[in-house]
Amino acid sequence: MAKENRFSHAREVKIPKELEGWEEMYPSHRLFSAERREWEDTQFWYQDKIHAPEPMPPLDEIFHQAWQISLAQHTTRIFCIPPAQGIAQRMVGCYMYICAITPPPEEVIKEKAELFPKRTFPVFDNYDRLWDQWLPKFQALGRELEAVKVPEELPRYMPDFDSGTTLPSVSPAQELLEAFNNSVNIMYRGWQYHFNLLNLTYLAYLMFADVARKLFPGISESAIGKMVAGAEVSMFRPEEELCRLARLAHAEPKVANILKTDRPAASKIESLREIDAGRHWLEEVDRIKDPWFYVSCGSGWFHHEGAWYNKLDVPFGYIKSYLERLDKGEKIERSLSAIAEARDALVNEYRKLIKTDEDRKSFGDAYKNVRSIYRYAEDHLFWVEHWFHAIWWDKMREFAKLFVKHGVLKDVEEFFMFNRLEVPYLIEDLATSWALGENIPTLKWSDKAQKRKKILEAAAKWMPPPALGVPPEVVAEPFTVMLWGITTDKVQDWLAGVAVRPEEVTELKGFASSAGVAEGKARVLKLLEEIGTLEPEEIMVVGNTNPAWAPVFSKIKACVTDIGGLTCHGAIVSREYGLPAVTGTGTATSVIKTGDIIRVDGDRGVVTIVKRAKS
Amino acid sequence: MVGGKNASLGEMLRAGIRVPPGFAVTTHSYVEFITEAGVVEEISKILAAVNPDDVTSLDDAGTRIRKLMDKAPMPPAIANAVSEAYALLCKKCQVKELPVAVRSSATAEDLPGASFAGQQDTFLWVRGSRELLEKVKLCMSSLFTPRAISYRMKMGFPHEKVLISVGVQKIVDARAAGVMFTINPVNGDPSKVVIEGNWGLGETVVSGAVTPDKFVVDKVVFEINERITSSKTIECKYEAGKGVIHCDVPLAQQNISCLEDKEIIELVKVAKQIEDHYGSPQDIEWAIEKHKPFPFNIFILQSRPETIWSQKKKEPLLGKKTAYELLMEKALSRVKISS
Repeated sequence: MAKENRFSHAREVKIPKELEGWEEMYPSHRLFSAERREWEDTQFWYQDKIHAPEPMPPLDEIFHQAWQISLAQHTTRIFCIPPAQGIAQRMVGCYMYICAITPPPEEVIKEKAELFPKRTFPVFDNYDRLWDQWLPKFQALGRELEAVKVPEELPRYMPDFDSGTTLPSVSPAQELLEAFNNSVNIMYRGWQYHFNLLNLTYLAYLMFADVARKLFPGISESAIGKMVAGAEVSMFRPEEELCRLARLAHAEPKVANILKTDRPAASKIESLREIDAGRHWLEEVDRIKDPWFYVSCGSGWFHHEGAWYNKLDVPFGYIKSYLERLDKGEKIERSLSAIAEARDALVNEYRKLIKTDEDRKSFGDAYKNVRSIYRYAEDHLFWVEHWFHAIWWDKMREFAKLFVKHGVLKDVEEFFMFNRLEVPYLIEDLATSWALGENIPTLKWSDKAQKRKKILEAAAKWMPPPALGVPPEVVAEPFTVMLWGITTDKVQDWLAGVAVRPEEVTELKGFASSAGVAEGKARVLKLLEEIGTLEPEEIMVVGNTNPAWAPVFSKIKACVTDIGGLTCHGAIVSREYGLPAVTGTGTATSVIKTGDIIRVDGDRGVVTIVKRAKS
Repeated sequence: MVGGKNASLGEMLRAGIRVPPGFAVTTHSYVEFITEAGVVEEISKILAAVNPDDVTSLDDAGTRIRKLMDKAPMPPAIANAVSEAYALLCKKCQVKELPVAVRSSATAEDLPGASFAGQQDTFLWVRGSRELLEKVKLCMSSLFTPRAISYRMKMGFPHEKVLISVGVQKIVDARAAGVMFTINPVNGDPSKVVIEGNWGLGETVVSGAVTPDKFVVDKVVFEINERITSSKTIECKYEAGKGVIHCDVPLAQQNISCLEDKEIIELVKVAKQIEDHYGSPQDIEWAIEKHKPFPFNIFILQSRPETIWSQKKKEPLLGKKTAYELLMEKALSRVKISS
């Protein structure tokens, strides 16, 4: 239990015995450790529900290892944000905790303050040019990952070769090892690129938010978000493409009729292939599939989420509902230019309210600064977390299939039960067995995978504490403030809430992310895959949402998230659809149950449980 | 001719703001009244002898002048004109003996900057021609309350330059009423409309008899940023035979917001319209009519310029900084987490 002013330390957390053995799933440096205790105990750790709302499958943990280094180095060593240090990570009972490290000594801050303007200001001046460099560089990297050749099997004998003129080539086992190491290297490199421009994007946003608050003291974060949000970004493209495909189908009644049936996507495709118009339509899908269907059905962070192109039931389901709306004569497209115009009108109206010319100038200057870079916040998301991650998952499944083929693993899923430092052991063990000769045993990797699957299942039922350790006095790290929304109030609420049982909670506080008040039935989606259970007019309660979910927002009444500030995806889309939203409540998905009647007050950032569902 | 307040009502009416219908008795009629009654000289004589620092002297002068005016007959031409205008108003509203509010509005055309707000009388729920004429006269004589006399003397305004007109307006039978500012009076935030309201007539809000409900609304994005529902124990209402009375708010209603969200948003829209019309922050009185459907139930009773923030010297709040200076400032900042 927490003392007055601190949370439990990691070693004091009672982890259920069903999770026994969880530690071995992650590299040892990812765990709290006796030898680093002195430092770890002085830091403040909180659960990262944005990126790791679920128990972490070992292989999926690789992205976090990659971002820990990249995010921090861009803050501390590249752009040198003076008082900010990086974000450290630790695993506890299959959940990830993060920590914004307290500011460095004053002399370091001074040093960095010299470097910061020299290195960052040119980025804002040249954002468009830098983006034009970034995108092809990143796309090339994705193609490189795609091109990594994974052997389909280790053959009984190496193919014939002219041994009189040629020396033997390296074996497929060696290629396998190199292919995996290459993939990992490319993935790490991709995450290096991810932060090239992101830290400054967030910093610019926080700067503009400060400016807006000085001029309009009571301005809501949601209003600031509305001023800054972009409309012409990559994240909108997948949805636009769906609308376009729906329009094309709507013009061909035969195609539309097939797509409007309730059959699985695979069966619809079969029927479409039988007619000319259907084949044409499918060609169009193929043409835009890469990259626009490489949008994850979840956040892009978990291997089991799938993406539109390999879970076609998801986009086909959206197309079906678009066709039905077209039949009713409704407009399905969101007008991006109208969104942009409405935003500009809003900014102008605020600008007109400013009382002095000097302030109007500073405001205009600050706004230009944040607008010059802000689209990166959304653009990079599509290319890294969606497109690039989808390629990575596919590549990993290629490796998995080889292990299944050789009987080392029972199914593809088992492969994800090993972390990226363990996979080379598997490869080496298999390669050794193959090289040594006939009937040489490997370790029982499948048994280990099964045991870990059970641990993850048990972890999904466990509610880990929201935070660990001693809350810091100040935080300077821009991501912590903006993305995770860690504030004094939040920490105090967490401290106060530790002792309360979830069923006794009647009110939750979060960010007033999108204005309005709505009351209705809650639908709690714990795993991102449960999205299909959502019924019209329900209030969606989730850990966090992401762009692949955009079409769902026309169906729901309001949105509540565990994590996320005012610019998280759920907040942005809720504002667009005019739905009330409260984000960053911390515990909504554990406190609220499906069927509870809740009231979402997006003006004040409060969610009230009006009536509990009968359990 | 009609005083600041009445002129403003007329102006709002022309600007398409929903103001209760009515008419004004001009300053010209006031001059005609005291001239024909032959009391001008006597009034001047009484006023000349007043010692502004002596309460008894002020009281005495006020009482004597008001008695003088009460006894004086209203010239028939004015009385007829008022009665006719009233009959027309009754006809327009399709109510016999329409209840009206009778408010005075003092003016001094060649004395810019003079504010006589709140110094003259207001009569509510006046019904019928006879009562109306009586109250019109009382309104006119309220130019000589001890407070008004003392104010003019302290400010050095000659009494004879200050005239009075009387506004007659259909009463809004208010379910809820109050005031609103088109700037946050607490911190001068120009992007907010701050509404305060209570059940019943607006008097309880204006006089501070209750802690009203309070709503702070962003007038650009129309978000309600702050919403305080107070415990409202007392309201003002009109009761036939008793007039305007203070009474207890039924228990079940005390802690309920006196405004619905759509009414709040509509009020903000009107407030913006009035502010745009005058080109400066406003202090507005509003009421929600009991018997009319939304949005026809929203009425503006009065609007005047906000004086506190508007008169402050406007200093830049951002210290004339450029984006890069602001960015540097932000990069150096820390967010305080523990107290």
